Amino acid sequence: MNAGLLLILRILFLAALYAFLGLSLWVIWKSISGRTSPTAQEPIPPLGLSSTIMESSSAQIFVTPKVTIGRSPDCDFVLQHEMVSARHGVFSYHHQQWWYEDLNSTNGSYLEDLRIEEPIVVKDGDVLFCGEVDVNISIKPIS
Amino acid sequence: MTLTDAGTTRRPAFRPALLLLVGLFVTFYAFALALAPSVRTHVSGFQPELRYLLPLLGWAAGITALQFGAKKLLPRHDETLIPLVGALSGWGLLSIWRLSPALGAKQLLWFLGGVLLMIGGMSIKNLIAVLKQYKYVWLALGLLLVGLTFFIGVNPSGSGPRLWLNLFGVYFQPSEPLKLLLLVYLAAFFADQIRPNISILASILPTLMMVALVGVLLVSQRDLGTASLFAVMFVFMLALTTKRRRFLWLFPLIIAAAGTAGYYLFDIVRARVDIWLNPWLQPSGASYQLVQAQIAIAVGGLIGTGPGLGSPQFIPVAVSDFTFSAIAEETGLLGTSALILLILLLVMRGVVISRHTKSTFGRYLAFGIAAFFALQSFLIIGGNMGLVPLTGITLPFISYGGSNLLTSMLCVLLLLRLSADPGKRRSAESSQKTYQFLSAVLVLLFVLLFVKNALIAVWNRETLIARPENLRWAVYDVYSPRGRIITTAEEPLAVTTGVPGEYQREVLYPPLSSVVGYTSGLYGQSGLERGVYTYLRGYGKPFSEVWKHQLLYNQPPAGSDVKVNLNLSLQKAADALMEGHKGAVVLLNAKTGEIYALASHPYFNANTLSDDFEALMRREDAPMMNRATQAVYPIGTLINFPALAAYWTDAQVRYQFPELSPRLDYACYLAMKSTASRLNPLQYGCESASADLVAGASPEELAEMMRALGLFEAPAVAVESAEAAPDPALDGDFDAWARKAQQTSVTPLQMALMAAVLSNDGSQPTPKLVNSYQAGNGAWVAFGGNTSAVDVFSPELALQLRNQLLADAQPIWYLNGHAPLENGETLTWYIGGTTPQWVGAPLAIAVAIEGNDPELTQQIGSQLLNLLTP
Repeated sequence: MNAGLLLILRILFLAALYAFLGLSLWVIWKSISGRTSPTAQEPIPPLGLSSTIMESSSAQIFVTPKVTIGRSPDCDFVLQHEMVSARHGVFSYHHQQWWYEDLNSTNGSYLEDLRIEEPIVVKDGDVLFCGEVDVNISIKPIS
Repeated sequence: MTLTDAGTTRRPAFRPALLLLVGLFVTFYAFALALAPSVRTHVSGFQPELRYLLPLLGWAAGITALQFGAKKLLPRHDETLIPLVGALSGWGLLSIWRLSPALGAKQLLWFLGGVLLMIGGMSIKNLIAVLKQYKYVWLALGLLLVGLTFFIGVNPSGSGPRLWLNLFGVYFQPSEPLKLLLLVYLAAFFADQIRPNISILASILPTLMMVALVGVLLVSQRDLGTASLFAVMFVFMLALTTKRRRFLWLFPLIIAAAGTAGYYLFDIVRARVDIWLNPWLQPSGASYQLVQAQIAIAVGGLIGTGPGLGSPQFIPVAVSDFTFSAIAEETGLLGTSALILLILLLVMRGVVISRHTKSTFGRYLAFGIAAFFALQSFLIIGGNMGLVPLTGITLPFISYGGSNLLTSMLCVLLLLRLSADPGKRRSAESSQKTYQFLSAVLVLLFVLLFVKNALIAVWNRETLIARPENLRWAVYDVYSPRGRIITTAEEPLAVTTGVPGEYQREVLYPPLSSVVGYTSGLYGQSGLERGVYTYLRGYGKPFSEVWKHQLLYNQPPAGSDVKVNLNLSLQKAADALMEGHKGAVVLLNAKTGEIYALASHPYFNANTLSDDFEALMRREDAPMMNRATQAVYPIGTLINFPALAAYWTDAQVRYQFPELSPRLDYACYLAMKSTASRLNPLQYGCESASADLVAGASPEELAEMMRALGLFEAPAVAVESAEAAPDPALDGDFDAWARKAQQTSVTPLQMALMAAVLSNDGSQPTPKLVNSYQAGNGAWVAFGGNTSAVDVFSPELALQLRNQLLADAQPIWYLNGHAPLENGETLTWYIGGTTPQWVGAPLAIAVAIEGNDPELTQQIGSQLLNLLTP
């Protein structure tokens, strides 16, 4: 009886251990792949982008977790300027932050005179310099 | 703006499921450990060991406190860190408790202290900033503590490097926190380097000096494991912060340089490297620990023996350096893979936190901590497996060691803080490629561990388990009874006494000790205990039953009884006649080969072996040798038998008695004096007659006759036998061999088998000491093997030979012989047997006495044969 019970305990402890490992792996995987915060669960602070090109200014507010910018009309925020690449860069929201990543644009993206080579966190009031276009960033806190 | 409405439920900062699963795992493990002793001893009632309750409750309290503290103080902390630490520390605590409850209690106190320290650390608001700001202060403090060990250092075990400080009875190893402090220093230093690529050398010089200082300090304290870890950590940090992967190429360079220097400077390094390169050179000496560790992993196999059912006591000091192997034995590849995966997850968690941390310092620190856990684990687990040389590094959270546990917990505290508060300063300099590369290097280390683990536990399993260094059979004997050794008349010779957990082996007729043998974890096994171990130990039972017992109890089933052909009354008579003499008697059934008596004197008592062993080993008369099968005596003038047989195989001289010189030597004179009624140099083994006979036969034919009589191969019996003399055909020079033919070494058993040919009309039986074993269903199963007799020569030749050797007025024949022994003594031989006039089963006997006493051998031989007269 004891022996059978011990065997069951052995199976159970391994099962609990592997279940824990599986769940942890899943949690870690989700955080690595950056999809930890589905929009349905977490509110996104609205991202406001505005720019002035040839005296014509445009401004938009986004609440989607991904916002692409560039010359192509497919982009969420279109910058009609020859120094801007077709797909210049992308804003994304994860880890309670708005991040900006340059998409290997020809003329690069700059923040505070530093060229952006890795995804970086952007904050309210930042001015992103794409090609020769200034993009003003405003992030409103969640009400 | 429906999105914000939908998103009002915030994700909880921790998932109860993670902690719940960890709690279940540790609880099941503790219960399994508590139940194991009653399973081992086959107790029928439910009597769990309550001592595992304390670590379980202590651990649960600690982890709960930690979780609540973190939830309150660091609401946005990483949700997997505390469960991971919980799984590792719970497993570690229970494993230490299982190996040594006293050390387990200490470790539990350290663990609870660590929990308090972590909660305290969580409440310090700007802990990370303070760490960074005063980096030199922390490092200096760490160095000071290590420096103190030079003056007031102690070693808790009383000898060895004095690396500990004694703080009111609590031993503390300052080099453990120094590892973390150095990490903090390096991270802070490199974070302040704005443009490290201006001049690499100039920018790393201060750290190089610091690390060198630490290295010198540790090396002079003989803390070489920690020193090597520092060197590796430094290179790692260098590669990370300068984003120059080529620094990693320094690894092999540094290791080779440090290894070579250490090899020639320090004996301990040389020993460790030699052991690592050739663990099987001294399996019972220097590399005993490593060999036992690998055997333990192999014994664990895929599923392990079960918690509490293994034998980690075979690995010396498993509790600190070899905890991994001890865990491997009891949880198998499944368990250890999970353990390695737990550590890997902790490491990956550190890497992810590093990626998300915004301050450069925090990022370096988190990555450094991840690498620190990874490298430590790799060095010690790899050391356990023989993948890398052994270093005295401990396994984080698992091994016994308070300072190490505290340091590891502080590392996790820092990770928790960094995960909860990614920092304010923005920085765009994290280089993804370097990160990916370095993370890949860390993962690769773990892949190596997985592969090696599987190799030992599955691929090399059988080879390792079969090693003579694996003494687990001795443990099986204590918990599961061996079968009895009994005679065919059901008289017990060796039995198991006692209760499960305290079984002991008892030899009921001690003069048979050299045949029955002994079984002891200390001295090994011998005789029948070894020869029919498989059956005595229960492996002769059906596979399903053996498998079931192994799975449930980690024991083979109760052993089968084994019957031997020995006849106890004949054996006792032989022993009585041999009392006080040195030599051996073998009496067997010439037709069937059943061995009726196998006496060897002087003898030892297997029951008092542990008291007598040293003295027995020192005695020159070798009482532990079974002279009947292991003594190699020269055949001497017994060569008359094969020589005359070989002479008569020549058709031209068949059955003509050769002319023999009648010259007597002292030994054959003595032999003749006691019984002979006429001058018979053949039957009494006179040397001159032997010389004539050997000269008369052709060397090739003599060799062939001796080969046919089985003198060039050791007879297969279930006990240890001496190696047979080499066949002259191998050498090819028969003439040279023939000149020394009388020096051919033989055992008394071989002589008895030679005698059996005459008693059995020219055919030789196979010797049979063991008769049968009791199968699972109670039936006796005869031992198989070759049972048929082999024709050596014709019945007519047997008759003619016998006629030359007949005794007066009795249906028996005999042949005396003697030979000089190496120590100058004379060996007296007597072989004999029955003639067809004998009414019972045909018999053959061989008697050997170390000493010139033919009267005694004749007396022993004829008395034993006559005992069997119907």
